Amino acid sequence: MKMRNRLASMAFAVLCLPGVPVATAIAADLPPLSHSLTRQAPKPAPALKLKDLDGQPYDLAQLKGKVVLINFWATWCPPCRREMPSMERLSQTLKGEAFSVLAVDVGENADTIETFTGQLDTTLTFPILLDTRSRTMQAWKVAGLPTTFLVDKQGRIVASAIGGREFDHPEMIRTIRELLGK
Amino acid sequence: MRRLPLTLLAMWSAASLAGTETSMDTETGLATWQTETAGIQVRLTQISPDQARGFYQARGFSPEAAERYAAECVFMTVVRNVGDAPIRYRLADWRYEPAGQPPRAIRSKAQWERIWKRQGVPESARIAFAWAQIPATQTYAPGDWNQGMTSYSVPRGGAFTLRFVWRADGKQHSGKLEQVRCTDENA
Repeated sequence: MKMRNRLASMAFAVLCLPGVPVATAIAADLPPLSHSLTRQAPKPAPALKLKDLDGQPYDLAQLKGKVVLINFWATWCPPCRREMPSMERLSQTLKGEAFSVLAVDVGENADTIETFTGQLDTTLTFPILLDTRSRTMQAWKVAGLPTTFLVDKQGRIVASAIGGREFDHPEMIRTIRELLGK
Repeated sequence: MRRLPLTLLAMWSAASLAGTETSMDTETGLATWQTETAGIQVRLTQISPDQARGFYQARGFSPEAAERYAAECVFMTVVRNVGDAPIRYRLADWRYEPAGQPPRAIRSKAQWERIWKRQGVPESARIAFAWAQIPATQTYAPGDWNQGMTSYSVPRGGAFTLRFVWRADGKQHSGKLEQVRCTDENA
């Protein structure tokens, strides 16, 4: 079996310290980010109506006609933090197309999230929505973080991914472009 | 995003126990046990009591409540589908066996929730706790994985074997991590 050197405990220790720059906590001990999306038979997406960091309401139903990537995450979740920049790169790659990214944070407030995003080298341009009491995650039957869904133009879940991903991997982009073409 | 310099802080070794590989982070002294069998990878990495206290106090636990969790033997746990077929597990089916003692179930999130409510832990902190644990049940497609905490009632420095169970291809499978050791108080 091939084993990789890990820095898990160091990463975890850094995550515990408020005020420590986030970026230093990211790289360490995580299994490699994969790039698979698991296709599934289309089924209607549950409701998703949440406010963003500025209190602006978002409703998934209003995004019909677009392919939407919905990522459930939290700042204390190491794989979530690690995959976030690749989600921004994906968003930039598909800018101008009928595609949106929504990142849904569980259980945290805007200050905590902005502390994290402010320490990234990447500026996140997609909306971050607040699921403060984790009700939306439960409605979407999310069992662990991060979990990501791909919703087609008809508002149906057509693919999902559990665990950290490299979202701007060519295979991911190809899958999304296929949906955009339908 | 910047990355930590990937200096080789961990030293892996092929363990003498069949299927279980171990490593030690030479900087922190914390150890990892990992096995990979029939499409599943399971890995436990020690979390020190100070790390557990710090993590939960930073998320709204009182020092007393955080201490309750830190008193357990806590591990960062990774479960990953490294095969070609979907796999499914229920944490309730897993057992750990401290040396010389009968198998025990891992304390569930629901059981912890009752403890935290009794201790007056705020809802936001309880939500963070629940999502920071490894999922109670999960189905992984190839490539899927989770990382979360599990806790074991084992004395500091004590060893146990973790027997994990999962289903794939309509069959139940099992594997084990042997001689996993609870970290010392001052790790």
